Amino acid sequence: MTLLKTDGLVKKFGGLVATDDVNLSVEENERVSIIGPNGAGKSTLVNLITRRLDPTEGDIQFKGESIVGRDPHEVVQMGISKSFQTASIFSELTVRENAEIAALAAENGSFGFKFLQHRESLTGVHDRATDTLDAVGLLGQADRTAADLPYGDKRRLEIGIALAAEPDLLLMDEPTAGMSPEETESTVDLIEEVKRELGLTFVLIEHDMEIVFRISDRIVVLNRGQIIAEGTPDEIRGDDEVQEAYLGGVDL
Amino acid sequence: MSFHIEVITILLNGLQQGAIYVLLAVGLSIILGTLKFVNFAHGALYLIGTYAGLLLALDVNLTSGLLAEWGYGQLGLGLGYIPALFLVPVVVFVVGLAMERLVVEPFKNRPDTDQILVTFGLAIIVQELFRAMFGSGSLPFSQPTWAQGAPSVPFLSAIPISQWRYYVIGITAVLVLIVYLLVEYTDFGLVVRAGTRDPEMVELLGIRLSRPYLLVFGIGAALAGVAGVVGGPLNPVNPTIGNEILVPAFLTVVIGGVGSIAGAVLGGTLFGITQAILVSTYSAWAQVGLYAIAAIVLLLRPQGLLGEEEVAP
Repeated sequence: MTLLKTDGLVKKFGGLVATDDVNLSVEENERVSIIGPNGAGKSTLVNLITRRLDPTEGDIQFKGESIVGRDPHEVVQMGISKSFQTASIFSELTVRENAEIAALAAENGSFGFKFLQHRESLTGVHDRATDTLDAVGLLGQADRTAADLPYGDKRRLEIGIALAAEPDLLLMDEPTAGMSPEETESTVDLIEEVKRELGLTFVLIEHDMEIVFRISDRIVVLNRGQIIAEGTPDEIRGDDEVQEAYLGGVDL
Repeated sequence: MSFHIEVITILLNGLQQGAIYVLLAVGLSIILGTLKFVNFAHGALYLIGTYAGLLLALDVNLTSGLLAEWGYGQLGLGLGYIPALFLVPVVVFVVGLAMERLVVEPFKNRPDTDQILVTFGLAIIVQELFRAMFGSGSLPFSQPTWAQGAPSVPFLSAIPISQWRYYVIGITAVLVLIVYLLVEYTDFGLVVRAGTRDPEMVELLGIRLSRPYLLVFGIGAALAGVAGVVGGPLNPVNPTIGNEILVPAFLTVVIGGVGSIAGAVLGGTLFGITQAILVSTYSAWAQVGLYAIAAIVLLLRPQGLLGEEEVAP
């Protein structure tokens, strides 16, 4: 089943065409990476999908339904979750509270009057938060203030926040940016673990080719807002146009 | 009066005056911290609270103003003070909800100056409306007979402070505690705290903030209403009281630290006690004292006593 589909997607900022007639489709349980040089329009594409930007032309469908015209929070509730490019956690809150707010969002995001209850009493939220923290290996640090976590753990928490919403599709925007090699390694392990255990569909935006080739089923190459190639990691590795436009002729 | 009785009297008077500031400042502070909305009409909510309290609790005899001219000189439900104490917060809460939808929501993403202009304009409109309706003279709003005079318990009976003032302190303490627990230990509070820091991310997680925001504003308004009804019997009641209390209430928020409930309590108490000390010693300097404290605090700690320093994320 096609989970996400963009149809002739165009985004213009004044005279600049950031996304140029992009037709992308992501199947259920598929792991797709989007790569491309800086300014290729990767982040614009993600922002269009999460509804932070309105497309100039074209349509985006999720589970067969158009999401253009929906609010960002509605898109989240439909099942698209995003892990952010910059470390986005609530640093003043505890690790557990971070997970709880995400779980809460998924449970009753539109906010009925249930929300005056104490958190512990909403066992669904509590259990979901605990499960999430366990999954990303942060349960032992649940009561720490998020700001006090080491950088790598912050990124793990961030992925945890995205997972707590139990999304059908997870968008990850450079999840290992700014990490040390060890932190990168453990985050990639985490992503692979998530991929195995939760069977999640995800779209990864990444610079690091090693990660991309390691965890993608399919790679989409963007350049100047257009898809210039797509295929399995092996196909992309051997694609001359990609070599030329993006990899600068370097042998991989 | 012996010296220590005098000192205790001054401190208790200060605590009571401080309690009024605290009630106003807690509301202002959570509204400013959460909605990022500068509400110069907060004093108008206090004004509405006072008049609503007066009209609910007592029978009032108006001598001037349009209502008197129209033949409604005898006004008021005369329900007594206790029902008024419970009804006023409800009334002002509803007024607050309406204000949030009609004024705050459309101006939430506008610059502070626009917010100040529109809310200050609103405050003046409310004040002049009350002046037109009820006249500009002070109305009698006495303390209830059962709360006059010192409490008949050992020790406190020797201190010349009416029971009403103790009730003001007690009611404030209970309400502030409730708000604190609400913010720290409920889902609503979690969303509000997270939204205070990063509203965009909360929305991206899939939580709509408009309802929590509405509730925050309503709670802040209700607290201002309570301040009006408990403070009413301690001060003259006329249409200017709302805008007169606005400045000390704002200074309380600023010295306490925006968004900090504990800061509002500390700031309000500090102001109340300073004012009480100055009133009983150099009364001409009482107002100046508040500004002096505010200036000193802001020079030494620009983020307020318990405010958090703005740090880049």
